[in-house]
Amino acid sequence: MTMPPLATRSRSAVWRRQFLLQGCWNYEGMQNVGFAYAILPALRDFYANRPEEALKAVKRHLEFFNTQPAMGALILGASVRLEERVAAGEADPRAIGTFKVGLMGSLGAIGDSFFWGALRPMASVAGALLALLHPLLGIAALLLIYNGVHLTLRRRGFAAGMEGPEGAVGWLKRAALNVRTDDRKLLAAILAGAYAGVFAGRFLVQGGGAPHALASLLLAAAAVHLFAVLFRKAVSPSEILSFLLFVGVLILWR
Amino acid sequence: MAWRFLLAILLGGLCYLDRTAACQLMLHRPLVVATLMGAVFGNMAAGAQVGVVLELIYLARLPVGASIPPDDTGAAVFGGSAAAIASSSIGLDAGSFTALLLLSVVVAEAGKAADRFVRKVNVRIARLTAESVDRGDVQAVEHGLLAGLTLFAVTGMVLALVFSGAGVAVSKELLPRFGPASRGNFAILLPALPLLGAASVYSCSRTERTAAVFFLTMAAVFGGTVLFRWSA
Repeated sequence: MTMPPLATRSRSAVWRRQFLLQGCWNYEGMQNVGFAYAILPALRDFYANRPEEALKAVKRHLEFFNTQPAMGALILGASVRLEERVAAGEADPRAIGTFKVGLMGSLGAIGDSFFWGALRPMASVAGALLALLHPLLGIAALLLIYNGVHLTLRRRGFAAGMEGPEGAVGWLKRAALNVRTDDRKLLAAILAGAYAGVFAGRFLVQGGGAPHALASLLLAAAAVHLFAVLFRKAVSPSEILSFLLFVGVLILWR
Repeated sequence: MAWRFLLAILLGGLCYLDRTAACQLMLHRPLVVATLMGAVFGNMAAGAQVGVVLELIYLARLPVGASIPPDDTGAAVFGGSAAAIASSSIGLDAGSFTALLLLSVVVAEAGKAADRFVRKVNVRIARLTAESVDRGDVQAVEHGLLAGLTLFAVTGMVLALVFSGAGVAVSKELLPRFGPASRGNFAILLPALPLLGAASVYSCSRTERTAAVFFLTMAAVFGGTVLFRWSA
């Protein structure tokens, strides 16, 4: 079956709409409404004169969907290409669901680790350090470091997805996000060490000689280690802050 | 003051949208939000000081799957506005600064509860959307998304108003009730807060070499900072 190609305007619309993937995030279908909304311009093109099939296609994309939002671009692009093949009668509609379900979990894990576990901490701590010089410098660093990578990966992921599922998987291999994750985690650790050093040097050392300074450094390192151990034991930052608030109230009361 | 709150609502709503519903460009990060709120309420630098500390504290909680991390955007709205107001009244001394950072935990948890509520209401919106599509209305998808976005935006604006109002109230009414000496006692807890932030980054950046790299850098920068202070 011959069918009209995806118009440039529709492709741009799908690209723009991916930024609202979580616009109706809910506990049941999670990003399902956002995904259906994002792919809708492409479906309107592919099923222009076939309302029944368009309806079936929209229902397909209202199924449960959840992944890391930036990595959603890759799945979205590949789903557009798969829909094109389904509309042309070259693929089984069930292949789309299988592809989405198969990829959303693993891409979610890769994306969570890269974006939330490495890139965001790195950008945050770089921003916090530079904000000590000037607040606007810190904000600029945070936004540029994060979005430089974030928007590039979204753009490249979407383009790779538009080459089809094979292109998407090939791009994922070439992108080597696991290696990039480790690099950024290490950089985040270096910057966080610098951040801890600056604050410990500022707040803990109020006078005294070298022994006092050394004791302050050891105390600060022990505090960081203790907090890290508590985080590993699933104690949340809020619980630690609440405890400190309680101690503060006791100090005031005394 | 009314125009300041209006601006806080608009900027806060925008930042809250970025948090979950739209874009995720990091406009919702505490460093950005607290600095903005500081500027709106008259002292950008004071807001940024709060933002620098809050930025890292909650990073250990990742927004993975259905889990919702504490609302650090709300904490920054509260902390930024409160710091700016405190700096122009009683002065942002170390004790007040510590108190504001610690009180922001209440706001972060309240914001998290509001976020959970919005996502529950969105279940209803998603179901209605699916039912409308079943009846043949494809456009319902666009209406459903718009409804979800609107809910996120309105909730964000309400939270921005409530949290900035709470920040102003705390700085104007609560903190002045304690004398400088009492507030000074509170400052003993201050060093723990940036270290908590550093530990937060440390714990979510774990690789084989993280511990060595982190503590070596910490020692080197600490030494440099102390030497610089002694020589100054």
